Amino acid sequence: MKQKAMRTGAQALVDSLVKAGTEVLFGYPGGQALDIFNCLPEAPMKFVLGRHEQGCAHMADGYARATGKPGVCLVTSGPGATNVVTGLATANIDGVPMVVITGQVPLPLIGTDAFQEADTTGITRAITKHNFLVHSADEIPEIVAQAFYIATHGKPGPVVIDVPKNCQQALTAAEYPERVSLRAYHPEKAPNPNDLSKFAKIVNEAKRPVLYAGGGVITSGAAADLANLAHKAQIPVATTFMGLGAFDERDALSLRMAGMHGSAAANWAINEADCIIALGVRFSDRVTGNIKLYAPDAKIIHVDCDPSSINKNVKAALGICADIKDVLTTVNSRIKANTHAEWLRKIHAWQKERPIAYRPMHEGVIMPQAVVEAIDKATNGEALIVTDVGQHQMWAAQFFRHNTPRHFLSSGGMGTMGFGIPAAIGAGLGKPGAKVVCVVGDGGAQMTFEEVVCAVEHKVPVTFVIVNNSCLGMVRQWQQLFYKERYAGSILSVKGRLDMERLDQDLEYDYLPDFTLLAKAHGAEAFRVIDPAKLDQTIKKAVGCGKTAVVEVIVEPRANVYPMIPGGKPVTEMIFG
Amino acid sequence: MKQEIYRFNCFVENRPGVLARIVGLISGRGYNIQALNVGPTEDGTVSKMKIDVLCSDEGVVEQIKHQLMNQVNVIEVTSRKR
Repeated sequence: MKQKAMRTGAQALVDSLVKAGTEVLFGYPGGQALDIFNCLPEAPMKFVLGRHEQGCAHMADGYARATGKPGVCLVTSGPGATNVVTGLATANIDGVPMVVITGQVPLPLIGTDAFQEADTTGITRAITKHNFLVHSADEIPEIVAQAFYIATHGKPGPVVIDVPKNCQQALTAAEYPERVSLRAYHPEKAPNPNDLSKFAKIVNEAKRPVLYAGGGVITSGAAADLANLAHKAQIPVATTFMGLGAFDERDALSLRMAGMHGSAAANWAINEADCIIALGVRFSDRVTGNIKLYAPDAKIIHVDCDPSSINKNVKAALGICADIKDVLTTVNSRIKANTHAEWLRKIHAWQKERPIAYRPMHEGVIMPQAVVEAIDKATNGEALIVTDVGQHQMWAAQFFRHNTPRHFLSSGGMGTMGFGIPAAIGAGLGKPGAKVVCVVGDGGAQMTFEEVVCAVEHKVPVTFVIVNNSCLGMVRQWQQLFYKERYAGSILSVKGRLDMERLDQDLEYDYLPDFTLLAKAHGAEAFRVIDPAKLDQTIKKAVGCGKTAVVEVIVEPRANVYPMIPGGKPVTEMIFG
Repeated sequence: MKQEIYRFNCFVENRPGVLARIVGLISGRGYNIQALNVGPTEDGTVSKMKIDVLCSDEGVVEQIKHQLMNQVNVIEVTSRKR
C-alpha cells in the first residue's frame, strides 16, 4: 500500500490557500504564525508585508473589492488578531469576501493567559460572517475550503481561521477536498416564478418608477442587466453610495447617488415615486433619513440575496431573496417598453434646478470639490477611485462621474478612517494597469500612512491625493451645523483650534505634518498644490508619473458637503448650504 | 410597548462555538433571553436549542429568525408565540 504523503499543518494550510486560488497574501508575522510564514518562500503566490495588521486587512479588503476575488490575510495571535478587528468589521458590513488566518497559542495553552493569547474567535464572532478555531492539523484543508466557500457565497463576508501553533506543527495526510459541502449553509436560492411575474406586473403598471441600485448589483455582476431594464422601460436609476458604478452616471437616466448627501433629484424622485425597484440595498439609515416618511407613495420591490435584509428597515410590497442577476435576466423580458416621458421631464427639471454643484468661497483657495473634478479630468473618468472616510469621501462620491462597477471603493457601512491608503494599495495589486487614485483626508492619511512603503516596495503606481483642510472636516461640519460651532477635537492644525488643548499659539507651522516630507521619507514622489491655477496640471503630472505618488492639496477648510439631509430627518428638510 | 415571549426552536450542528454565536447574535442586538435549553438530538451531530426571547412585534421575530438562518451552522429555525 502506498503511504500517504505527510506534511505539517502549516504546509497544508499554505498549500490549501494556493489550491483555493490565492495569488496575493497580505500579512504580518509573529510568534504564533512563524510555522506558516516558514512555508511562504516556496509558495507560488505573492506575499505583501504590511506595516500594521490593520493595514494588511484593509489591503486584502481593497484587493477583494477591486477584483471580486477573496482577499487573504495572515497575522499572528493576540495583538496581531486584535489589530485586524477593524478590518474585519469594515469588510463584514460592506459584504466583502475575505479569509483571514490568525495564529493562536498551542491548544493546551488556550485559556491560560499565555503570552499573546486572545480569544480570537470570541472577539471576531460578531464582525465576521463565520469563524473557525482549528482543533487538529487534519481539519485544515477542509476548513480552508469551507472558509473560501462561505466568504464568496450568499452575501460575501470575511471568515477567520484561528490556527493554534501545535496544529501548525503537527503532521497530517489530509488533502484539500474536491468539493465543499456544508450541511447547514445553502445560500443560493432560485427566485420564485410567481414573484417574478408580480415584479413585472408592478413595474409595468408604475407611472413614476425609480430603480434604486446598491452594492449587491456590483457583487452579483448585474450592472449590464440593470442598464437593460432601465433603458427598456426608461426608468431613472438612483444608486446608493455602495452602488456607485453600478450604473453609468453619464447616462441621461442617472439620478446619481441618493441619501444624506445624495443629489436632490434622486431624493425627490424616491419621495414622489409610486414604485421603487430596490436591488441589492439594505435601506441604511444614511439613505432613508426618517424611516416613517421614506418614499410614502411607493410600492417597494426589494431584491437581495440576504433574507434578513428584506423587511428589516422598510416594508417591501414584494420581497425576493435571490441573486439579482438571476432575477433580472428573467424579469427583463417581461418588462414592457415604456417612455415615462412626463416623469422623466419632471426629474430633468429637478436636475436643472438643483444640480450637484459648489461655489468657490475665497479667492486663490482651492475648493476640495475641484480636486475630485481634477482627478476625473486627468484620468478621463477611468480612475479606480479609493477613498478614506469623511467629507472628501462624499465629494468623491458626488463629483466623480462614476461609470464602471468596482471603480469606486470605500468603507460605506463602517466608515473606517484609515481605510483608504491600504485599500488603494490592495486594489492596485489586484488590478495592475488600473489608474488607482486614492482620495484621502489629512486625518485618515495620518492613521495608516505607514502602508505607503508597501506601494513603493511593490512598485504599485497609486496616486494618493491628500485633501488637506487641516481639520476633521465632516466632524467640523456637524459641529458647525448642530453643535453651535464649538469645534472640540476636530481641528488638526494649530490655527483655529479651541484652547481646550492649551497649545502654544506661536508654533512655527500651520500645517503638520508636512505630507510631502512624509511621502519622501516613505520613498514616494511628492507634490504639493496651494494655487488653484496649478491644481489640474499637478494632479495630471502625479497620475501620469507612473510611480507611487503623494499629492498634498491645501484646500478651503470651511467647505461643507451639500446637499445634506440631517440624520433622522425627512427629505423635505434637505439643506443646500 | 407590549412585549411577548416567543420561542425559537433551532436545529444546529453540534460543534463548539455554535451556542456562543447564537446567544451572541440575540443578546448583542439588545434582546433578553428568558430561557434557554440545549441538548443533542437522537442524531448526535445535531443539537436542538429552545430559546425564549421577549420581542415587541412579529417583525423583530422574523428578523431574528432570518439572522439565525444566516448562520453557517444553523439547519432549521421555527418560532411561535408562547
